[in-house]
Amino acid sequence: MRATRKSDISTPRGWLGAQSQDVKGWLVLAAGLGILAGLMTMLQMGALAWIIAQLISADTPLVQLNGVFVLLLVVIAVRALAQWGQESAGVEASLRVRSKVRALLLDHLAAVGPVGLAGRHTAGLGGQLIEQVEALDGYYARFLPQMRLVLVLPLVILALVLWLDWLAAIFLLLSAPLIPLFMALVGMGAERLNQQQFIAVTRLAGHFLDRVRGLTTLQLFNRADASIDEVFSAADDYRRRSMRTLKLAFLSSAVLEFFASVAIAVIAIYIGFGLLGYISYGPASELTLFSGLLILLLAPEFFQPLRTLAQHYHDRAAALGAADGLMKMLELPISTTKHEQEHEQVSVTKASGARVHITEASVSYPQRGVVLGPITLSIASGECVALVGPSGSGKSTLLQLLAGFIKPEQGDVEVDPYTQIAWMDQRPWLVQGSLADNLRLAAPEASDAQLLEAVAQADLEELVSALPKGLTTHLGERGLGLSGGQAQRLALARVFLSKAPLVLLDEPTASLDADSETQVVTSLKRLVAQGRTVVIATHHPALMALADRVLRLERGTFSQHGTLSNETR
Amino acid sequence: MKPDNKGSFLSDFAPWLRQLRQRQGRLWLGALLMLLTLAAAIGLLALSGWFITTTAIAGSLLAVGAAVSVDIYRPGGGIRFFAVTRTAARYGERLYNHDTVLRLLADLRAGMFAVLTRLDGRSLGRLRAAEWLNRLTADIDTLDSLYLRLLAPPLASLLAVCGIALLLWFFAPSVAVPVLAALLLTWLWLALGQARLGMAASRRRVAALDRLRSLTIEQLQGLAELRCYRTLGMHRQTLSDQEQDLYRDQRRLGRLQALGNAVVGLGVSLTAVLALWLGAGLYTANTLSGPLLVLMPLAVLAANEALALLPPAFTQLGATRAAAQRLNRLVASRSEIQEVEQPVALAERPPKVVFENVSLRYSSASPFDGDHEISSTQSLLALALDDVSFSIEPGERVALVGASGSGKSSVAQLLVRLIDPSSGQVYLNDRNVLELSISSLRQRVGYLTQRTELFHASLATNLCIGNSQADEDMLWQVLDLVDLQDWAKELPLGLDTWVGESGRQLSGGQARRVALARVLLTQADMMILDEPFTGLDEATVQRIAERLDTWLEDRTVLYLNHDNRCLPGVSRTLSLRSGRIVSGAE
Repeated sequence: MRATRKSDISTPRGWLGAQSQDVKGWLVLAAGLGILAGLMTMLQMGALAWIIAQLISADTPLVQLNGVFVLLLVVIAVRALAQWGQESAGVEASLRVRSKVRALLLDHLAAVGPVGLAGRHTAGLGGQLIEQVEALDGYYARFLPQMRLVLVLPLVILALVLWLDWLAAIFLLLSAPLIPLFMALVGMGAERLNQQQFIAVTRLAGHFLDRVRGLTTLQLFNRADASIDEVFSAADDYRRRSMRTLKLAFLSSAVLEFFASVAIAVIAIYIGFGLLGYISYGPASELTLFSGLLILLLAPEFFQPLRTLAQHYHDRAAALGAADGLMKMLELPISTTKHEQEHEQVSVTKASGARVHITEASVSYPQRGVVLGPITLSIASGECVALVGPSGSGKSTLLQLLAGFIKPEQGDVEVDPYTQIAWMDQRPWLVQGSLADNLRLAAPEASDAQLLEAVAQADLEELVSALPKGLTTHLGERGLGLSGGQAQRLALARVFLSKAPLVLLDEPTASLDADSETQVVTSLKRLVAQGRTVVIATHHPALMALADRVLRLERGTFSQHGTLSNETR
Repeated sequence: MKPDNKGSFLSDFAPWLRQLRQRQGRLWLGALLMLLTLAAAIGLLALSGWFITTTAIAGSLLAVGAAVSVDIYRPGGGIRFFAVTRTAARYGERLYNHDTVLRLLADLRAGMFAVLTRLDGRSLGRLRAAEWLNRLTADIDTLDSLYLRLLAPPLASLLAVCGIALLLWFFAPSVAVPVLAALLLTWLWLALGQARLGMAASRRRVAALDRLRSLTIEQLQGLAELRCYRTLGMHRQTLSDQEQDLYRDQRRLGRLQALGNAVVGLGVSLTAVLALWLGAGLYTANTLSGPLLVLMPLAVLAANEALALLPPAFTQLGATRAAAQRLNRLVASRSEIQEVEQPVALAERPPKVVFENVSLRYSSASPFDGDHEISSTQSLLALALDDVSFSIEPGERVALVGASGSGKSSVAQLLVRLIDPSSGQVYLNDRNVLELSISSLRQRVGYLTQRTELFHASLATNLCIGNSQADEDMLWQVLDLVDLQDWAKELPLGLDTWVGESGRQLSGGQARRVALARVLLTQADMMILDEPFTGLDEATVQRIAERLDTWLEDRTVLYLNHDNRCLPGVSRTLSLRSGRIVSGAE
């Protein structure tokens, strides 16, 4: 199918279809069990009608019907089981699709890499990833299986009624050509509901969030109380407007409901007249209590699959909307060297510092042109290099190149792919969890003793020992409770813990005050003394002083005069 | 706070039920319409069955030549009546109840917003986290459908079940009682049984989804570190474990709901068979007529529609309850900022500012994210302000400089009482700010916050937040002050131009200047300007600074900035580092 459907995979609908391929079995099972349940319903109605007809028309004693009663009970039980199985299989299909899609997205975003994601609102992106993947649920769990039932069950019922009484079947058939019309109506109703409602709901939610986000401002201007009324009238205004659309949107399902009700009524009256012998035309004279009752009982079932589908229609609309968003996410260009994330095994490097060679490498971006290079650079094991230069001169790009976040357009970057790298920028990355959890992100296997050692090297010892819970102290959202300097030193402790032979630091002190900066510089001195290879992009003289070599970048290349060695000073 | 699993279940919902009571009339009417729909469905099927059987019996008698008269018009009319009523009632019910739900949404949104307006500055700062806000909206949405999912359907279906039993009672009390018992049992299972079995998993599901969300965001934010340290795979594993936890609960709930739906069919069908079997006994004993024998199981079968609404709602009851508990916690949160009994209005003149040994600790965790034990450790981790003392004379302009996070914003927040000090006093015109009326305080002290917060509204509306009485001339005047007059004049819609996300995008610098114009519009006697010129180019800063210098005359001014460059008329500079004044305090 991958070849045949490739053309429409670019539409949300095609994409949703493509995702269902792996769970086809579950979807078929769900539909199959749904059909079984439908058949059992027909059998149940048949048995009910049979028993009644036997009792009333044939005067059969109750005891002789015990067998049919037992059969009826069995049928009811099987139907319940099939119904349970149908829904459970749908749930399973949905879970598997969501799991797969989520993995696909995470893989893709990892390949897009930190540089590709820079400037994007990652919190928003992450939230969107969760919500939109969850929004696929109903489509696979309910809508798709029901879609198949709609195509099968009404036809089977129609065939049965045709066999019982063709005139009654014609009443149903008369509404049958209307079924596609119903579907279109229901669809259009749901579509309209979803397009207009969705926009309105989003706008209203946006209004609410907007006012909540700006609450401080409203408080400061003494406008908070007035805004409560405003929030109410916005919601109330939304209600008035949406009721206008709902009046129309609900009509489509009301039409469906109407036909279902009227069909039952017409059939009931037709059968009644037929049984009385008032209708001499066609098969009416052959109607019996059994066939009449059974037709009556089957009439609502004829419409039931469609009514259920109408209820699930919003699942489809939700999934289409989500697919649109997810596809956009999958279109983000990959900026990374390939297979980077597969090198999870860290080679046991004996040398404490990594060697780096860059030969004639350059990097350019579509809108900005060449941002780096061509440059050639060799860094010896254990060397500390500072990169300086105005912002936009390519310092960060060079670090990203070394880290493998971007690939050189030309030239060559030689860093052992199995080398672990320590990375730290001006925004310390902290996760929800304990201090230890945060440290172990760099070295999952590290012992408590190693953690404490790293903490000491980053000058956080005093703080940690003052905490009643020590390293197991929980940090709140976004490292709540740590000052900027403390957070940066925690990130630095991670660097110490990692033993990575190559350390890349992107303006590590840029957002710190003077005191914190001094502390971080002291710790960094220790790091350099450990013999690791360290590359620092910085503006700070204190950090430049640490370096063996200071390289000045200007417009993406090393300026000739800027390169100086601290050793020769 | 650990969610209380056993605790009074009703008390979690009590505040929300009380809120619903304000619209009692509508709620009853909505439930009644729901019941009418169900009654019509029951009537349609039961009467049709009765009619067919009557005609069948009459037909067979007629066939053997007996004289029978059958009234075909009344039952026929009844059938048509029920058919039309069912459709009309259903349409009306949907429309009416949606209207009700949307009214409830407006009530709830406004109610929760009122709660939020009482929060202090620190809680509000925390609340900005996008995830938290989204959950808040989701929680409110969960509760506004409380009525339509958890109140009206069980009530209407219970009444329908009783109605069916009552109908049967007229013809055969000995059938009605067991039928009622069986249907009630089914009803109880669908409401209480489903809720009980699904409680733990549906509660967990929300938390598991939240955790998965934060792990995903963490992973995206930490891609650089994770890839460098080669621990992305490990983090993915953690994420995938969390995902499996979520799926386990979802699978359990999905199957449970499937069970509930199957039980609806099972319970109703079995009851119908029971009614038929019992009825058959009466029929063979000649105490029940044929048509009534048919009517009974058919009426029971129609209960299907009434009960089908219950499983989806009650299986997820735990999630609804968790939402209610979270919002209850938020509602219960008291702002630390309280006005005194008889607040004093701040006098109308440029105030004198005195800080006396002011210290500020991060307070305990806010009531609405209280899962972690931050409270005990926070004080150890950081002190926002440490024994700060200084004063500003009326009409003086002072710059408070320091790196970000050094405590500058805290000083400003203390002055306008977005927060209160942990120890020490803040005086304005020799009055402790705690004694002042908060509204007069904020009216007299204009504060340009570091974050630019503009609303999705027109330019004029955004400006008028600063002063609702401002006329158009005043708006143009402040726009001129911030050098935006020419720009605004060229906008096709002028002051009516929509700004913010859904309207015209302003550049960072333009937004900053609009915010500055807004605070100038207050004409306050004191101005706190936190990094007023962020994102502006040098030339613009020069132009604005010049005009501002004149405008600020005779006003007390506190600038907060990285340094004191380009701040017009600064007579003194206070330097703040890690919450301490290190120079300039005299």
